[in-house]
Amino acid sequence: MLHNAKDKYITSVKDYVSQFEENSFRKLASNDFNSWPSPREETWRLSRLGVLSRKEITPIIPNSKKKVSSVSKFTGSTIIRFVDGALREDLSSKLPPGSSLDILGEEDSLTCFHKFKDSNLKDHPSTNVSFSCTPSIVKLTIEKNISIGGFFEIIYEGGDENLSVHPALYIELKDNSSITIIERFNHLSSLIMPLQLVELKQNASMNSLKIFNDNQQSYNLSANCTFLSDKSNYNSFSLIKGGLFTRSETHAYLKGENCSLNLNGVYLSSKNQHHDLTTAIYHDVPNCTSKQIVRGVLGGKSTGVFQGKVRVAPDAQKTDGQQMSRAILLSENAIANAKPELEIYADDVICAHGATVGEIDDEQLFYLKSRGILEKKAKQILITAFLNDIINESVEESVQNFVFEEAELALSEIISKEI
Amino acid sequence: MSLLEIKNAKLKLNDKDILKGLSLSVNKGEVHAIMGPNGSGKSTLSYMLAGRGGYDLESGEILLDGQSLLEMEADERARSGLFLAFQYPVELPGVGGMSFLREAVNSRRKFLGKEELDHLAFVKEARKVASKMFVKDEMLKRAVNVGFSGGEKKRFEILQMAMLKPKISILDETDSGLDVDALKIVSDGVNAERNDDNAIVVITHYQRLLDYIVPDFVHILSDGNIIKTGGPELALEVEKNGYAGLINAA
Ligand SMILES: Nc1ncnc2c1ncn2[C@@H]1O[C@H](COP(=O)(O)OP(=O)(O)OP(=O)(O)O)[C@@H](O)[C@H]1O
Ligand SMILES: [Mg+2]
Repeated sequence: MLHNAKDKYITSVKDYVSQFEENSFRKLASNDFNSWPSPREETWRLSRLGVLSRKEITPIIPNSKKKVSSVSKFTGSTIIRFVDGALREDLSSKLPPGSSLDILGEEDSLTCFHKFKDSNLKDHPSTNVSFSCTPSIVKLTIEKNISIGGFFEIIYEGGDENLSVHPALYIELKDNSSITIIERFNHLSSLIMPLQLVELKQNASMNSLKIFNDNQQSYNLSANCTFLSDKSNYNSFSLIKGGLFTRSETHAYLKGENCSLNLNGVYLSSKNQHHDLTTAIYHDVPNCTSKQIVRGVLGGKSTGVFQGKVRVAPDAQKTDGQQMSRAILLSENAIANAKPELEIYADDVICAHGATVGEIDDEQLFYLKSRGILEKKAKQILITAFLNDIINESVEESVQNFVFEEAELALSEIISKEI
Repeated sequence: MSLLEIKNAKLKLNDKDILKGLSLSVNKGEVHAIMGPNGSGKSTLSYMLAGRGGYDLESGEILLDGQSLLEMEADERARSGLFLAFQYPVELPGVGGMSFLREAVNSRRKFLGKEELDHLAFVKEARKVASKMFVKDEMLKRAVNVGFSGGEKKRFEILQMAMLKPKISILDETDSGLDVDALKIVSDGVNAERNDDNAIVVITHYQRLLDYIVPDFVHILSDGNIIKTGGPELALEVEKNGYAGLINAA
């Protein structure tokens, strides 16, 4: 297919892969990248990428000597570092027994690529661009019956103005294994396109915490594809606070019975930031539960988007799917969009959803003020409570304080400007 | 000088006249009771005094200790010593009772030029007051009013009053929803706070409360105005004969 020759980025991606063989996964991926998603496409209507085709961005050539600036936030965590999108083993910790980190060869990369292409992320720009340009696909494997105590801290940084970065991580949890992974996105790049494939085998359990805190000028288009087998459990929480434009898109496929999924998130947006949490949950088999709580606080001229699709296949009886989203606007110029999308083809299911966008509750504010508490403080108390609720519920206790602090920083930024 | 002086207060809600030139003076050391039919404007009066948004006077004056409240926001009025116990206390999910109380108490203390209480000193004080009100410590750890029973909410209001030590307290139907024992506990709590420097306005439908908190004056509020003022015997008359006779006579 012909691509838009005026779009320099598309040309630069094609140039980047020209050195590879015709049937390599990179070539295949780049063949499918011929335009940015159009705003006429429903999932990109509220989050437009048009501006990217006018930028002079090229894929980064990672600098394997680059010094890092983000320090670990935890003592005793197993650190994995990606710089410029490339794994830096020299800066990463020794892995605990039962876990391993590998760089995939062509054949395994191709398999991984096909898993993405078989999902509804097949046309996501990050899928095609990052499979084209990633330095390598890194696979983290947790062996059968291994429960990793402590947690993995994955720090992504590097990149630069007018460069795009493409970290790609494939996480496989074998039967009965479990892990907690904290990922921190701290890039400086103009464009960040992280890919993540998660496969949870039988009875595996993963807690995932993602903090999006890239540079104020960057675009982060994160694409996550997750497959759950029987009795597996995926508990994910994303905090989006950085970047000029951050969209975290997650597609979760519930393929085995009795699995459970939490896809929660918070976005904290100020100035002219655009934050987007897009999720799709596919209940393909019976007896699974999925639960989503999404909250946003917006100030300035920022925009927040939550798009939550839940699809319950005809066979997926006894599905329990819950979705709640709430956004608080602190400024007249901020906008929040919530777009729940339920496609239910089974009849014996419990599915509930609710979405509200509004200001701070008047009655609650008056009650606090009537006790002598300054308006500014009262608002801060209410917003903090709004977030504490969901953080307490979504994040395991040992990292709650870290998440509170991360949220607090962004919140004080928003509040100081608005109230 | 009166502690609280309301002069010819007129207030509209959604273009409807609710308070129609109401006047009331409350002196230090006094207890006033306000009774009146549903919808007569009792809660409106209390919200207006507390400074709720949208409850601004169309005309009239309110003075606390000679100082006009009209230009003050709700929080400033509260710090100045005005307290409203809500008819319907508001639930605050995610806001812990103890930290809420501490924030409120320290705001008031700061205003009075007193040192703020540190965490330990505060918790000690809160527990002491709570035990007097038969409020369990466990309740202070929960989110404010969330999942509290009707009676627990009212008790928590009076606990706040006891901790804030206001100059003037307006208790809007604090007795409704209380069982007989709780009514006694809450009334004892209120009475314990009475002194020569403060005053209390109780809004109630029931004479029974006034057996415990004995008022100096009873006012009948009807259709946005005080139509009659008397002593405790007026409450007994209402209990016996209802409002109709009083309203017709006015
Ligand atoms: N926002 C509003 N717009 C118009 N009318 C209102 C509004 N809020 C309250 N009212 C009316 O004001 C009147 C007074 O209400 P208020 O709550 O003050 O009564 P009350 O004396 O406290 O009654 P109760 O004994 O039932 O508590 C009522 O007729 C009520 O319907
Ligand atoms: Mg009332």
